[in-house]
Amino acid sequence: MNALLLACWLLPLAGAIVIWAFGPQLRRGAGPLGSAVVFASLACAGSLFSQASNETGVGETLVTWIPGYTFGLRLDALSLLWTLIITGVGGLIHVYSIGYMWSDRAFARFFAYLNFFVFSMLTLVLSDNVVGLLVGWGLVGLASYFLIGFWFYKPTAVAAARKAFVINVVGDIGIMFAIFALFASTGSIAYADIFAKAGTLPVGVLIAVCLGLFVGAAAKSAQVPLHTWLPDAMEGPTPVSALIHAATMVTAGVYLIARFAPLYNLSPTAQSIVAIVGGITMLTGAVLGIAQWDIKRILAYSTMSQIGYMIMGVGVGAYQAGVLHFFTHAFFKAQLFLGAGIIIHALNDEQDVRKMGGLYRRMPFAFWAMLLGTLAIIGFPFFSGSYSKDAVIYGTLERGHGILYVAGILTAGITAFYMFRMIFVVFFGPERDDVPDVALAIPEAAHVAHAEDHDAAHAPEWLMRLPVAILMVPTVAAGWLSIGGNTSPWYRYFGTLFGTSENVNAPPLPIPELASQFIVYAVVTVGVVIAYLRYGTPAALRGSVERLRAEALAMPVALERAFWFDDAIAFAIVRPAQALGAFIGRVLDPHVIDAAVRDIAWLAGALGLVARALQNGLVRTYAFTIAIGAACFIAYFAFVGIAGR
Amino acid sequence: MTPQSIIPFGSSDWSAVVPMTIVALSALVVILADLTLPKHLRRPVVLGVAILALAIAGVVALGAWGHPVAAFGGAFVLGGFAIVFEEIVVVAAIFSLLLGSTLGREDQAGGAIALVLWSASGAMLMAGAANFMTIFLGLELLSLALYCLCGLSPRAGARESALKYLILSSTASGFLLYGMALIFGATGSVSLAAIAGPTISNALFDVGCGMFLIGLCFKLSLVPFHVWTPDVYEGAPLPVTAFMSVVTKAGTLAVLARFAYALAPLPQAHAILAPLWIVAAISMIVGNVAALAQTDIKRLLAYSGIAQLGYIVASMAGTSEQGLRYAIFYLGAYTFMNLGAFAVVALLSREREEGSRLATFAGLGYRQPVLAGAMTFFLLSLAGLPPTAGFTGKILILATDVNSGYAWLAVLLIVGTAISAYAYFKIVFAMYGRTTGAEIQRATKPASALPWVGVAICAVATLALGLYPILPSDIVPLVK
Repeated sequence: MNALLLACWLLPLAGAIVIWAFGPQLRRGAGPLGSAVVFASLACAGSLFSQASNETGVGETLVTWIPGYTFGLRLDALSLLWTLIITGVGGLIHVYSIGYMWSDRAFARFFAYLNFFVFSMLTLVLSDNVVGLLVGWGLVGLASYFLIGFWFYKPTAVAAARKAFVINVVGDIGIMFAIFALFASTGSIAYADIFAKAGTLPVGVLIAVCLGLFVGAAAKSAQVPLHTWLPDAMEGPTPVSALIHAATMVTAGVYLIARFAPLYNLSPTAQSIVAIVGGITMLTGAVLGIAQWDIKRILAYSTMSQIGYMIMGVGVGAYQAGVLHFFTHAFFKAQLFLGAGIIIHALNDEQDVRKMGGLYRRMPFAFWAMLLGTLAIIGFPFFSGSYSKDAVIYGTLERGHGILYVAGILTAGITAFYMFRMIFVVFFGPERDDVPDVALAIPEAAHVAHAEDHDAAHAPEWLMRLPVAILMVPTVAAGWLSIGGNTSPWYRYFGTLFGTSENVNAPPLPIPELASQFIVYAVVTVGVVIAYLRYGTPAALRGSVERLRAEALAMPVALERAFWFDDAIAFAIVRPAQALGAFIGRVLDPHVIDAAVRDIAWLAGALGLVARALQNGLVRTYAFTIAIGAACFIAYFAFVGIAGR
Repeated sequence: MTPQSIIPFGSSDWSAVVPMTIVALSALVVILADLTLPKHLRRPVVLGVAILALAIAGVVALGAWGHPVAAFGGAFVLGGFAIVFEEIVVVAAIFSLLLGSTLGREDQAGGAIALVLWSASGAMLMAGAANFMTIFLGLELLSLALYCLCGLSPRAGARESALKYLILSSTASGFLLYGMALIFGATGSVSLAAIAGPTISNALFDVGCGMFLIGLCFKLSLVPFHVWTPDVYEGAPLPVTAFMSVVTKAGTLAVLARFAYALAPLPQAHAILAPLWIVAAISMIVGNVAALAQTDIKRLLAYSGIAQLGYIVASMAGTSEQGLRYAIFYLGAYTFMNLGAFAVVALLSREREEGSRLATFAGLGYRQPVLAGAMTFFLLSLAGLPPTAGFTGKILILATDVNSGYAWLAVLLIVGTAISAYAYFKIVFAMYGRTTGAEIQRATKPASALPWVGVAICAVATLALGLYPILPSDIVPLVK
């Protein structure tokens, strides 16, 4: 029994149960308790680091399911990385939440949900088989449903939670489909067995499995066109956005594809589809990020765009690069969300950047936190994001995806623009919190008060600042692990987990890596400069109210409606599905056709019971169906009987 | 002259039928109690007697495990196979009674419960029936009681649906009888053992088998013999629907399995049984597609049952022992997840109105989180998501179909499952979707709290069977 591994997995569950059961007694104690179990879990995973940081890692068989099939845990290099991020960054977000949720009446419930989420996520990554993966996958969706809809008195939050749930179910079905296909063709559920037999799978099965898995990955990781739930999910409390919608859950899709690298490596078609969808998402998210006014929605679209990078990276086969971007993104995006949370909290739940402005003076700490996070996300030289983003971008070129390469560079420039737009609008210029909404063209409905559940007490400030301060270190430095290319600690850590590099015989690349980096830097600089000219010059800052109003009024409809994805889904899926349902009902369910007839028969009433049942047509319809079926049967058997001799 | 010579059966013959005799006789006790007891005591006592009798029958049947008996000259065979089916029937009957604590008007209660017991004893007879006489006897005992039960509801459509059931079911019985007659003509025996032996192979025999299978497919409501099912399910009182959805199927499946496995050694078995697998495959698809369009939960469960029975029959394709074992496992899983869903509907039912409309479920996640959670769990299981019995069962059936060379059935099963997920999740979305305040506040007081017991047991069993699938051994049907 590997007690450490078990403890690592189960501690958050224990925390969730205890907090859920004794919430009223624990009161504020729920926060420290919830944080403590997650850090304890981190310690367990950390103490297994040297044993687990290789391809086989440490495993533990828990139960025998059907004879010959077992459920177990496996902590290897890949799942270890995710476990450390889930418990490490997750733990910091727990601490932050103590401060953020201090005055919420459902304080304990929040921590029970958070712990449950961490447990679900650990189930997902620690499982050594596809069934456990799907269980974790489903539990994570459930936990996120609870957390997004945490403020259930906000109709928008409930709607957002439901949307996230529905889209995630689409993904669950995709994975279930893949598991069934895998089981039917390999006869096993354990990763090890499946990967051992991967080479024997027919091409069609392989593509079906890979695409089924990718539907799951796309739903969880907000890939186009299944991304529409992510911006809406910002209705949840900000720590939830940091935990679920930045650091952990949304990157589960990246984990899934990296985990199934042995299958994807065998199916270039599936790989290309994954990479292209990732590229489209990356670009779409960045463009939509330009048009947002809600600080959390800006970050949400940036998350979508960054996950697009990761998916594109693992899609083209640059697994180390894609996973590195997950690693650095977990830090800097958590940092950005938590920094935004400090601002939102201080401004009494104001999230519209047009109402902010000049916060550099009021909140220097938040400013520095956000600035570091921004520099990291745009890939500023020597910040963590630059190493991972450059690796992904260059990885696409190395594997011969020229268009994705250009798109990656372009997106880096757009990212620099919209992130610095946020920095300038939020932190510089005059403070605009007294400016009336009309002057800023803010629609009336934008504000939803939800202060009713707050009481006056405030938590000590350091509770929210400490996690942010700690996150600053990896935000800057996490990427340094990859300095030195293939001999760096990062690449050695994974060894041959993703298969050996196949581009030994690749044609010479048009641009060396260093030159490519400088191109990215140049484009990023252009983005920053445009943002400065538009939002940061002294003139722009002085006239910020008028400029922002003008921008809001002139916002292209395409951007305002987020490229009509929601409308398109309603038009292309929801309404046809309803129509199809109605049609099927009419064709396959005689009850519907005959309902009218029967009602008339009911009114007529005078006919006897038998007569009615016979005359309303149903029995005759049914008998006719049965007769046809029987005729087919008998014809078949007569044929077999005669021809069989 | 000893009694032995008058009645050529010994005590071992009689002991084989003790379980179903207990059930059948308890129905008489129920009627007597209903006639004699004071009004306020009737229902609880009668219900208690019935459940107790079923439980005793279940225990007695289990006691025979490991000692297979071929009673009455091979007409009734009580082995592991029959016991497993008898247990499923007993469990399902008990659950239906839990749901049916309000079954019928006050003055009908005793009669209704007696009919449930007789019907169950018919299914138990089918579980062990190994010749055509006992098969038909069991089937008619099961069905005749059900015709009456279907008409019990005060709902307008109930009698109509009962009549419809009677007419169409009689047609099916006709096919069944005709098939039996033809097989008898070909083999000269009413025993299933006779068809397993050296048979005169001719068209008479093959057509007989075909007609026999038609009759069984009707009772199992496999497409295209399914048309009666949604109407009858919708029209019948809820507890009766729940009862039918498991007990009829279990009894008929026992007969089907015995017949198919007796036939399997024959050279032409493959050709004779092929239509059965095709019908199962069509059922998986049509049942699930039709379920998409339903707004009444009972109709939805009817169509879902059609598909689920398709899965079970598909498991027997290849007539391997493993396949039969998995089919029985899935039947057990289906029993719990299906009855669990019916129990939830029962808890939402009020006086004179059954809680089976989709609208009743709107916002249930906010009104009754535990109940909605349980329903979600049952639906997850029906759709085949882990960690439920439905998932485990489906994955086992996939395995056996692929192993025995019926990969196309496995593919259709996957497709059917994917379709079904949307039908089931429609209910989940309704429960957790955005609702108006009125829906959230609308309190429902269940007519009885007894179905809660059913919900709890079914939920635990669905989870437990999913995590620790119990695969019965020693279940190959004996025909001699």
